[in-house]
Amino acid sequence: MKSEVNVFGAALTRRNFVRAGGALFVGFGLVGADGLKNAARAATMKNTLDASLPESWIEIHPDNTILIRTGKSDFGQSTTFTAYRQIVAEELNASFDSITTVVMGDTDRTPDGSGAFDFLGSGAPNIRKAAAYTHQALLDLASQRLGVPKAQISVKDGVVSGGGKSMTYGDLVKGQQLKLTIPVKGDLLSPLGLVVDGNPPMKPVSEYTVIGKSFRNSVTASKVAAKEQWAVDVRLPDMMHARMVHPKSLGSTLVSVGQLDKAKFPNAQVVVKGNLVGVVAPTEWEAIKASQQVAAATKWKDWKGLPGHARLFDYFKRDADWKTTRVTKSEKSKDDVSPEMAKAAKKLTATYQMPFMKHAPMGPTMAMADVRKDGTVYIYTHNQNPQALRGEIAQMLSTSPDNIIVRTFSGPGHYGRSNGGNAGAEDEAVILSQAVGKPVRVQWMRPEDFQWSTQSPAAMSDVEIGLDSKGKMIAYQIDHYMPAMQDDRPIGAVLAGLPTMAAPNENGVFIGSTVNDIQDPWIYDGVVNIVERGRGTFQVGQKASPLAVGLRDHSMRTPGQFQQNFPRELAVSEAAALAGADAIQFRIDHAKEERAIGVLKAVRDASGWETRPSPRAKGSGAAVRGQGVSVMFRSATYWACVAQIAVTPATGAITVEKVTVAVDPGIVVNPMQLKRQVEGGTVMGVSIALLEELQFDESGITTRDWRTYPILKMSELPEIKVVLVNKPEVGTYGGGSEAANALAAPAIASALFDATGKIVRRLPLKPEYVQAVLKA
Amino acid sequence: MATLVVNGVKREVQAPADTPLLYVLRNELQLSGPQFGCGLAQCGACSVLLDGKEIRSCVTTLAVVAGKEITTLEGLPARWAKQKNLSQADAEKTLHPVQQAWIEEQVPLCGFCQNGMMIKATELLERLPMPSVPQIKEAFTTDGPSPHLCRCGSYTAIIAAVQLASTTMAKGGKA
Repeated sequence: MKSEVNVFGAALTRRNFVRAGGALFVGFGLVGADGLKNAARAATMKNTLDASLPESWIEIHPDNTILIRTGKSDFGQSTTFTAYRQIVAEELNASFDSITTVVMGDTDRTPDGSGAFDFLGSGAPNIRKAAAYTHQALLDLASQRLGVPKAQISVKDGVVSGGGKSMTYGDLVKGQQLKLTIPVKGDLLSPLGLVVDGNPPMKPVSEYTVIGKSFRNSVTASKVAAKEQWAVDVRLPDMMHARMVHPKSLGSTLVSVGQLDKAKFPNAQVVVKGNLVGVVAPTEWEAIKASQQVAAATKWKDWKGLPGHARLFDYFKRDADWKTTRVTKSEKSKDDVSPEMAKAAKKLTATYQMPFMKHAPMGPTMAMADVRKDGTVYIYTHNQNPQALRGEIAQMLSTSPDNIIVRTFSGPGHYGRSNGGNAGAEDEAVILSQAVGKPVRVQWMRPEDFQWSTQSPAAMSDVEIGLDSKGKMIAYQIDHYMPAMQDDRPIGAVLAGLPTMAAPNENGVFIGSTVNDIQDPWIYDGVVNIVERGRGTFQVGQKASPLAVGLRDHSMRTPGQFQQNFPRELAVSEAAALAGADAIQFRIDHAKEERAIGVLKAVRDASGWETRPSPRAKGSGAAVRGQGVSVMFRSATYWACVAQIAVTPATGAITVEKVTVAVDPGIVVNPMQLKRQVEGGTVMGVSIALLEELQFDESGITTRDWRTYPILKMSELPEIKVVLVNKPEVGTYGGGSEAANALAAPAIASALFDATGKIVRRLPLKPEYVQAVLKA
Repeated sequence: MATLVVNGVKREVQAPADTPLLYVLRNELQLSGPQFGCGLAQCGACSVLLDGKEIRSCVTTLAVVAGKEITTLEGLPARWAKQKNLSQADAEKTLHPVQQAWIEEQVPLCGFCQNGMMIKATELLERLPMPSVPQIKEAFTTDGPSPHLCRCGSYTAIIAAVQLASTTMAKGGKA
């Protein structure tokens, strides 16, 4: 017997099929023409969760425990282990602790794919909607079982009550095989994955009891006790260790491979495919030593096709091709504000520069691949978008995604680097495993991770701001220049000459496009005469390199928006100074959105801000002090930041003494975890502001380790104060794991101006660059 | 072939004498606490205690450590239990106060560097039971072969956790 119930567009089916246990499984179905076309691929794919299979988003077990599954892999955001459990518990009216299992990332065990970004989906992540549908289905079941109308059922901590009777969720599902089919759309293997569709009724914010509390991250204990299984810990029978011998430069093709010294390394073997060279051995130490011996004897063609970091911005101005790619405009942008600009009493005209930066995970990329004789490929890795990786590996091997399974484990934070599907080593592990017929573990060494991974793209912006005689902004124009940000071609496949997606080009869409979209929403709605344009180009060196690689880029935490917010916010602080106004009050006076004004006031109150124009009156002594501010809207969250610094003019050295961040995400889901995210992001932000710049010469990246790419040390840690602005009345929760890393740089740069009266319009604010401006 | 004493237990290992300890711990002894971060003694992710002193296992060869007492993250609970003369039953259900403080303060973000952070904290607190904030910063920055680096930026939480661990250790481990 089979019955079907319509639950707000989702279909609940019930079979009176009794199996030991029984459970409610929430799977996904298909909706709409696009959904059918794209999701059909996913739904009928082998090794994928399918609407007709019991694997699912949420399982409610007879013992009242709940399991949730998400394609999103946690990379240190803590979201899947805290916020997701809170959100599901809230929508189901179950306790946080009843959600005992979180399955994430594995391509054959999770339903929806997509990258490790935008976890909270501006308040409506997939898992919330899936939970909301499930809750409705449970109410329907309860109504049948208790014999009272659905509206008369109440639920608390997973116990349904009505008509004087009560039973647990576990009792409701016991002895039955239930399946809920919910509507989804999208493409599983795309960067955005599948999206749960429809509008199931959601719990009113006023009734929240689980969201808003500081639950602990359930994975912390195993990481602290050395019980976590990290990707680096995965071991398979007969596995081999490998190290790569990467080309001499970003444009070097292979001339000849060095002869392996078999006397010294009797168990090692060399694998060559095109320009890909790897050395495989049964022990890790033999693989390392043998690869070093082979690398020293391997010959590559020389190549010089990069401008070198010292000439980068000359190259951007004179040589880069900004013409081929279409120019973008923001939503609020007008076509031309030159008439208004011409009326300005005072004008700021300036150019700002951001260097290439590295994501710089603490552990270099690694992966294990097991290419089996039947053509099935298992990849064990730490990856921000396993489903996209699955598609890329299938393309590389010219096989079906059905044959690829990606399992993902804990690992070092990637900060966006693997959001497009690959982190660097996965495809190389597959190629080597296929060649030797055994599972192969590829581990990059530290210099390779700096030199062969992608980077956050450098950028340049030209700004013009016009002020009237009263010091009000009447016109604003910004042109952002940035090379393509998303190169998701697996590097091993490129070197081996195997199929990949195209190199970034002007016709690409989103991924692999040279188009530079406007990412930083305009926040000063008192100013309507604005032009915001984005100009894109190919990656530096990409066109000249015989390998077509150049300086490959990838989105990094607050991608694109960081590159656009730094020039805007520093320029607005300069405009405030031109107007003789306090930098926070100037912002408040030009903003209209209450939440933007709210975070500015909150950060002013909490930081000990001195309300006055910049620069401050000259102090005496070896160090001078200053304050600066920045503001941003990202992922449905408002942010404001104040930095207080000391500068030693004789050396150009900056000490960041205190950073205060006010954050309004609407509803704060987990105060403790949000605070830790903001503190961490702030440390990264100070690090980026003061220290970080990719070094490269005409052939390749010369940054190779933590000495050539210093990041902030504990001794340089400022006091960090986080102000959480909880606004339940907003009704949604915004993201909290990005933005914080981008706020410090413009605030510190304007604090430097406040302290010295000199403006440094480039990052990083390292002593050499600061001193050059202070002396000029 | 060499003999090591790891977390209080004598272990025979097969790796050649020039092998860095890290690979022996991870691959032969299947210990997952110490991590490969740089292989250059520049980050601290691979730290272990060698006769109570924090060292970088990625550049320390097997030949150097043979016969000496090695403590990894896995061995911190037993180290604490031995120092406090806890019964076997109590020892098995307890974490080192440093590990417990790391949970209380929710220190790890990605957590990849935290092995070295907890090893360094243990070394510090055994040497200096009530460190000041400047002393904590110094320990994690200038004391060893390199600063202990965290890309996720957990330094604020680490300082709070070291202070909490210091307090609980002073009380004999009870929070």
